Amino acid sequence: MPTPASGSAAVWAILRKECLSEWRTRYGLNAALLFAVTTLASVSFAVGRLGDRTDVLAAMLWIVLLFAALSSLSHTFVREVEGHTLTLLRMSAAPTPIAVGKLLFNLLFLVMIELVTVPLFLVLMGAPPPNWPSLLLILALGSLGLALAATLAGAVIAQSRGRGALYAGVSFPLLLPVLAAAVSATRAQWSGAGMAMEIRLLASYAFALLAASLILYDHLWED
Amino acid sequence: MTLTERDPAPVGAVAPALALEARAVEHRFSPGRGLPAVSFSHAGPGCLAVVGSNGAGKSTLLRLLAGLLRPTAGTLTLTVDGGEVPFPARRRVVGYVSPELSFYDELSVGENLDFVASARGLASPAERVRVSLERVGMTARADDRVAALSSGMKQRLRLAFALLHQPPVLLLDEPGSHLDSEGRDVTESIIDGHRRNGLVVLATHDERENQRADSSIRLRGGLGHSA
Repeated sequence: MPTPASGSAAVWAILRKECLSEWRTRYGLNAALLFAVTTLASVSFAVGRLGDRTDVLAAMLWIVLLFAALSSLSHTFVREVEGHTLTLLRMSAAPTPIAVGKLLFNLLFLVMIELVTVPLFLVLMGAPPPNWPSLLLILALGSLGLALAATLAGAVIAQSRGRGALYAGVSFPLLLPVLAAAVSATRAQWSGAGMAMEIRLLASYAFALLAASLILYDHLWED
Repeated sequence: MTLTERDPAPVGAVAPALALEARAVEHRFSPGRGLPAVSFSHAGPGCLAVVGSNGAGKSTLLRLLAGLLRPTAGTLTLTVDGGEVPFPARRRVVGYVSPELSFYDELSVGENLDFVASARGLASPAERVRVSLERVGMTARADDRVAALSSGMKQRLRLAFALLHQPPVLLLDEPGSHLDSEGRDVTESIIDGHRRNGLVVLATHDERENQRADSSIRLRGGLGHSA
């Protein structure tokens, strides 16, 4: 087992490496932002402002965030396999710090996407002014859940042969509870309804995913 | 002895006691593919060659020693100073060179090694990177992107990667491949320097490299022979 000091050094090194690689290649960020901006612009042109349809607005916000981020989130491990750098990574750090470093990068990536997408969404869709503390809490917990689910599914399928098809099958049941609770809570913060149950669900689901991930990551590459 | 990431049993003035023991160890990817059952034992320091024709399982044996694979049958133990090193901890005590080892093309030579040194939690990563690059004659290429390196330079980078944490055991799979005569001299000087206090396990077809070994294991048809 790695010591806490060496584990945190490895997590930090992985996070820095992921950021530097993304900055140099713009592998995911440009594609994700392009998807978010074009989707919002297209819907805005087609249906105009959706100010009073908070149910549609809530669903659309999370669909745009999910699809903008998912292609990159799912590829954090696949890139290592296809770039033949997995052996280098495995010889450099233990599986759990590697996965935690990649999880933190995915979380950071989601925050970057949200910093652009959420304000643009509110303006282009003509959404009612949000309850900012509530919306930020929902975005934080929803992003944590999405990043945990996508990173876990990406890690599990990375070395399989039919990983493209397998990813959808593995990630769908993991992502669905996050999306359902996040959409419901986002709608509630606009309508003024209570959302305590959704917040508890998002928090406990994220905690359960984190616990499962930390147990599973240590056995990632055992054959 | 407890091995930690920050204290990876460096090859220093006092040579650690090193031993390998395989008992009917095998790893099968599918029927007829992989490493057939082999038994051998070897005590370091020194140099052990693993020879055999293509597909005999030389690379698989080195991957098993590095902890990248687990045996499908039998046992393979690596002992450092009397303590058996478990498979997940092997990466801390071995330096691994293999043709399958690739680096991040978008990062420079120095950035790749700095990442590895930091991920391993080594003290003074920049100094470790500098020393490793100096040993393989790549100091002047530290700022070059890996994508721009020739295959020979990438092979030298693999050697630098293996030396970075000063491991007591070096696992070298075809270390001379793609190297020019100067690169081969560098490899031979690394092997000669390391074998005095550490253990070098060398998988090779190169007769010149093979002659540097103290003993050898020939992999053929599931039989291991210590010569």
